[in-house]
Amino acid sequence: MSLEENVLDIMRRVFEMDEVNTDASQKNCERWDSLHHLMLASELEEFFDIELEPEEIAEMTDFTRVVDMVKSKM
Amino acid sequence: MTTFVFRNQTVEPFLGYDGMTYSGYGDISQVPDEVDRYIWFYQVPPVADATRLAQEINSYRDQLDLVMGAASASKPFVIFSLVNLFPMRLTGCEHEVEDAIVDFNRHAVNLAAQHDHVKWVDFDEFVCRYDSATLIDWKYYLMSQTLLNPKLKNDFSLWWRRVEEEHALMRKKCLILDLDNTLWGGVLGEDGIDGIKLGGDYPGRAYTQWQETLLQLSRTGVILALCSKNNETDVQEAWDKNPFMVLKREHFSAMRINWNDKATNINALAEELNIGLDSMVFIDDNPSERELVKQLLPQVEVPEFPDKPYQLMPFFKRLVDDYFRIYTVTSEDLSKAEQYQANALRRAEQSRFADLDEYLYSLDIQIDVLPADEHNMQRIAQMTQKTNQFNLTTRRYTQAEVQQRLDDGWLVYCMRVSDRFGDSGITGTVFLEPAGENGVNIDTLLLSCRILGKGIEDAFVKTVLNLLRLDGYRELTADYLPTAKNGQTADFYDRLGMTCEATDEDGSKHYRMPISDVFEIKNCYNIRVL
Repeated sequence: MSLEENVLDIMRRVFEMDEVNTDASQKNCERWDSLHHLMLASELEEFFDIELEPEEIAEMTDFTRVVDMVKSKM
Repeated sequence: MTTFVFRNQTVEPFLGYDGMTYSGYGDISQVPDEVDRYIWFYQVPPVADATRLAQEINSYRDQLDLVMGAASASKPFVIFSLVNLFPMRLTGCEHEVEDAIVDFNRHAVNLAAQHDHVKWVDFDEFVCRYDSATLIDWKYYLMSQTLLNPKLKNDFSLWWRRVEEEHALMRKKCLILDLDNTLWGGVLGEDGIDGIKLGGDYPGRAYTQWQETLLQLSRTGVILALCSKNNETDVQEAWDKNPFMVLKREHFSAMRINWNDKATNINALAEELNIGLDSMVFIDDNPSERELVKQLLPQVEVPEFPDKPYQLMPFFKRLVDDYFRIYTVTSEDLSKAEQYQANALRRAEQSRFADLDEYLYSLDIQIDVLPADEHNMQRIAQMTQKTNQFNLTTRRYTQAEVQQRLDDGWLVYCMRVSDRFGDSGITGTVFLEPAGENGVNIDTLLLSCRILGKGIEDAFVKTVLNLLRLDGYRELTADYLPTAKNGQTADFYDRLGMTCEATDEDGSKHYRMPISDVFEIKNCYNIRVL
């Protein structure tokens, strides 16, 4: 699985939604609230074995930015 | 099922969203009716001001009472115990936070004991698996008030699922035990009453501890039964005569001690006790007996038995976890509550003693001095073989040699020590060889290291010396023979008041002392000469 696919997979699991696609953002995804956002960060840290700073977590407001952030850490 | 969760931290990552509704942080103003279950899951916030934190924790108790009063008693109410995830003790002597936590937990346990619908969850059982660095990720706490590290959520889910399952699980009622190599080491019919391994040093100690633990289990309401291939008269004699036997006839609700096959016996036990085979657990060291019962009575649980006596305690824990744990309203939790009380009491006691003597006095130390006889001689010989640290001469004797010394007119005493925390058994001995007209020489003096440190050695020797005085002995000689391990006894006879007459090149010291006055013994011991 590509990194993008892995991220999508984690987002589906965290948000408990079957359909999460590459357009997903905090604005258009109802389940992507602040708490799920942190759970997403925690899952990403664990899965990719990375550390995210609070400021960085705050910047990850849509799928593309999440992927970019993860890539920058690896 | 829908659940309403009272919480003061973010716990959604752990309990999830499915069917769950959460209160505001520390908010008890809403107690919704339209749910099937309530959960109270508060955590101790990391606050440095201990007094303020203790007050806050004390307020949880009042909050819990208010919520319980408003919630329907027909719906399950699950209370998580409070655990201090991040203890901050700025000075050494602050106990107020711990005390407040203990008070809350005790209150919760009492609620669970008094009300069928209340269940108490020991959150510490989960927390204690992790170190403090793993438990908290401060980033998530400061960003979202999630004190417990969200990365533990999968572990938590597994643990929580098991807790929920066990809430509904039926406890087994009866534990059926074998005797030989199960409740003691060895075979009674072959090794005899004093030959079976029970009490004293390892492995006997392991079996004593195992029996004590089983006795505790029976006090929580588990029925103990016996199923053993033995002669009943032999077993009764062992109960009567072996001083280390903890579990005796009165602790077993039913027994089958005979030579029938064990499946038949277990069926008979089930009938006699009027309980189902499916509420019985069978413990036997013999794999073929276990296999027979598994084959013929599949309803009976038959766990594997550990190979080594030192594995009995972990085995016991597994036994309890698998079959005898009670999660709902519990005598186990009740006794836990009593433990909390006892701990609080012990803390109070620690500060109460003015000096060591007062502390010793409170221990209720019982010292029995008894002459060597056929019941303790094996243990005495064993101690001469094994004791290294508190051993003045380190002479090793076999049981036959001890007997020979007795036949030669030596005086051999041993000592049995107990205190209010338990019985340490025979843990010291002295060999006295008559010398001259009214003299006596200490050939051997030793004490097991597990009882050292309470002045017992002093009390023992002085008691023996007072006995010698009464018997007309007037002069005492003794030697200290140094070894690599007995350095702590080098000055023992000096402290006793003996005069060192000679010191050899190798460090051996030779002492002499008249036996004239009665030796005074501190009154913090109860001493009996038997």
